[in-house]
Amino acid sequence: MRKLSPFPAIGLAALLTLTGCGLSGSQPSATEKVADTNQRIVVDNFRAPVANWALESDAAYILSLSGCLETLTKYDAAQGKVVPFLATEWKQVSPLEWDFTIRDGVKFQDGTELTAESVAASLNSVLKAKVPARAFGPSTVSSVQATDAKSVRVTTTTESPLVPFRLASVNTGILAPAAYQGATVDPFGHCTGPFTPVSEKAKQSLTLDRNPNYWGGEVKLAGAEVRFITNGATRAAQVQTGEADISLSIPASSLSSLQSAPEVSVLKADSPRTATLYMNNGRAPFNNVDFRKALRSALDLQALAASVYEGAAVPAAGPFAPSEPWASAGASSPKQNVEEAKKLLADAGYSADRPLEIIAIVERAEFADVATVIQDNLKGIGVPVSIQAKEYASAEPDVLAGNYDMILSQRNRLIDIADPIGFLTADYTCKGTYNLSHFCNEKYDQLIAEAARTSTTEERYKLYAQAGEILDDQAVNLWLVNEQATDAIRSNVLSYAQDPLSRYVLTAQTAKSGS
Amino acid sequence: MITFLAKRTATLVAAVLLSSFAVFLIPYVTPGDPVRKIIRSRVAGDIVDDSTVQALSESLGLQDPLPVQYLRWLGDFFTGDMGLSHISRTPVVDQVMPALGITLSLVLVALGIAVVVSLPLGTVAALRQGGKADKLITTVTQSFIAMPEYWLAPLLVLVFALKLSLLPSAGWNTPSSIVLPALTLALRPISFFTSAVRAGMIDALEAEHIQAARARGLGRGQTVWRHVVPNGLVPLSTLFAVWFAGLLGGSVIVEVIFAIPGMGRLLYDAVVNSDIPLAQGGVVVVVALAVAITTLADFLHRILSPKVSGSLA
Repeated sequence: MRKLSPFPAIGLAALLTLTGCGLSGSQPSATEKVADTNQRIVVDNFRAPVANWALESDAAYILSLSGCLETLTKYDAAQGKVVPFLATEWKQVSPLEWDFTIRDGVKFQDGTELTAESVAASLNSVLKAKVPARAFGPSTVSSVQATDAKSVRVTTTTESPLVPFRLASVNTGILAPAAYQGATVDPFGHCTGPFTPVSEKAKQSLTLDRNPNYWGGEVKLAGAEVRFITNGATRAAQVQTGEADISLSIPASSLSSLQSAPEVSVLKADSPRTATLYMNNGRAPFNNVDFRKALRSALDLQALAASVYEGAAVPAAGPFAPSEPWASAGASSPKQNVEEAKKLLADAGYSADRPLEIIAIVERAEFADVATVIQDNLKGIGVPVSIQAKEYASAEPDVLAGNYDMILSQRNRLIDIADPIGFLTADYTCKGTYNLSHFCNEKYDQLIAEAARTSTTEERYKLYAQAGEILDDQAVNLWLVNEQATDAIRSNVLSYAQDPLSRYVLTAQTAKSGS
Repeated sequence: MITFLAKRTATLVAAVLLSSFAVFLIPYVTPGDPVRKIIRSRVAGDIVDDSTVQALSESLGLQDPLPVQYLRWLGDFFTGDMGLSHISRTPVVDQVMPALGITLSLVLVALGIAVVVSLPLGTVAALRQGGKADKLITTVTQSFIAMPEYWLAPLLVLVFALKLSLLPSAGWNTPSSIVLPALTLALRPISFFTSAVRAGMIDALEAEHIQAARARGLGRGQTVWRHVVPNGLVPLSTLFAVWFAGLLGGSVIVEVIFAIPGMGRLLYDAVVNSDIPLAQGGVVVVVALAVAITTLADFLHRILSPKVSGSLA
């Protein structure tokens, strides 16, 4: 049996902060309040299901945060490792094969038993989707089959230590066989979680009741309503009026009013998203590392975070958030140094023969202001910059082909699984499929290849840190600010643990007091 | 009458064909690959695998020449089949009809408010032409034009939901949910309606037959009620139809702010996500309704207005 290594104390402390379980994101003490098990709760979520309830789509996030959908494994952010969920244990039986043991005594909400067959059928449904999930598709997983009544074997296309991480992805949630009988996936009564979906108002809300037979113990709420409210200001207003008990992803513009609102707490945690100025390392003048470093020294990230982001983001310290367990220990945010920038510019032999162009994608409204701040900073060292606002879809072909100077974008490092291997591979290896900066470094590639083979979490994180240092040393891109995940909750919500990725919001332990 | 209806039917068919073809072309004339947009709307993220693009393109028939794709949709449409959404893979009609019902309710209530408010205001302004009441009403209602929905909606939420706790801030759950979005949508029509009622009634007040009625001894109140007010309704019926048609698909800002799953949001999302069948289905329904409503308004106009009633024959 493979045992995951104990997580180092420093990483644990960092991760507590990252996930909101530490000082920055924890719920204020409410010990004087008593949970009332007759209470129902309202959660305002920032997205609505667009592809029905297909698990390969982002609808899986909604089912997971609603306490309906559960997975074989779960990423425990506080411990920094994958822990048992619907599977009790797992082991790598050959380079390409992993066996998962299914938990005894679990029943779907329709009363049928969770078996290896039902798990394999559910995972195969996701695997065969026309648009496969990022975490669990045919490029990484070749087959899933039940090997006996309680064991499921997952076979991968290449050797990977990250299969348990993949099975913690919400896209690999397990539904009863009856959920797959129709033309579309039907999660109603077919999950295993503490809450059973009972009705849906299309594009408005999902109503759930307590699952009285939940395998994980007593469920402390009678039910819940998860509303799909895409407008951030509306989510903020609803938690302020008390129409919602929890509002996820509060926009920066609403923070000041919420922070002064009575009966409302604002929780913040580092998110795995860094707003980044990508630079085309394959083209002059960006192919000169001194030039890239000059631009880095010219930027005032503290002012950028305070002004454009209104305090809802912190200055970045390289490609990772400092609280992430794979960040370098000594990483700090670069400080503006105009004289040093000018010297580096002279060393690079730069001459301002043409204005450089920043593409600000319109999907992120704040990027127009970010680009303006950067333009002003760079003007201060004699680098003229023009700004081009574009839809991402229209910019992408040129960016991938290397026909651009700079583009403002933002990536989620943990979009596939709770490990940055996918991001580090796609974005920065020589053959990366999403290498916008057209960066190529042999040593970096070796580190990432080694990390992909390393099963020990601690060792893998060390390799990620070394890879991150190369990116930072080479000033491959300008990492601007780390965005904060910001949720707001009413004071009568109890036992709420913030998840920066909003995968786990309603759990059996989530409670609400009667007053 | 028959000629009128035949002309309007031809207009309807032409409008449906033109609008559906224009919507069909949007993903192809705007930058970016439509198939990648569809994939990104299903599994949010930047990296899209080429093999997935190829497989989905074949599965949805998007590799066929554009005329073939459009004619295939048209053939299905005329047999009553709007097709399946590219994103959700559910029938388009199942998404369009609920959204249409919601938007129809919202728009009718909003324009109802506008009519109820603008009729007395326009009447008073016309009867007090040039006076203080006229100037006040005209100034106030004209200022409504300058109040954009994205400004007014949060203001109403702040006052009626946050401060007074009288109304819900968003959603579409109870009858009270409609009040704030309808008020937001009603403000600008109030301005235009009031102005139209005022102008129509001033014209009527100056008409010879009104002067003659007064000369025959008909009281001022009776003259206004019997002869002037109906004239004020004539321009109102036309404006009502125009606003109705416009708001059917054009209330997207209000629908987003108030979390209302109506036609505006549906069409906006469909276009952004390159969900061509959903966008086509939605636009065709909106256009057909708009043509029907404006036809009905013209019909009423001809009945109410003696000058043009003869042309119906």
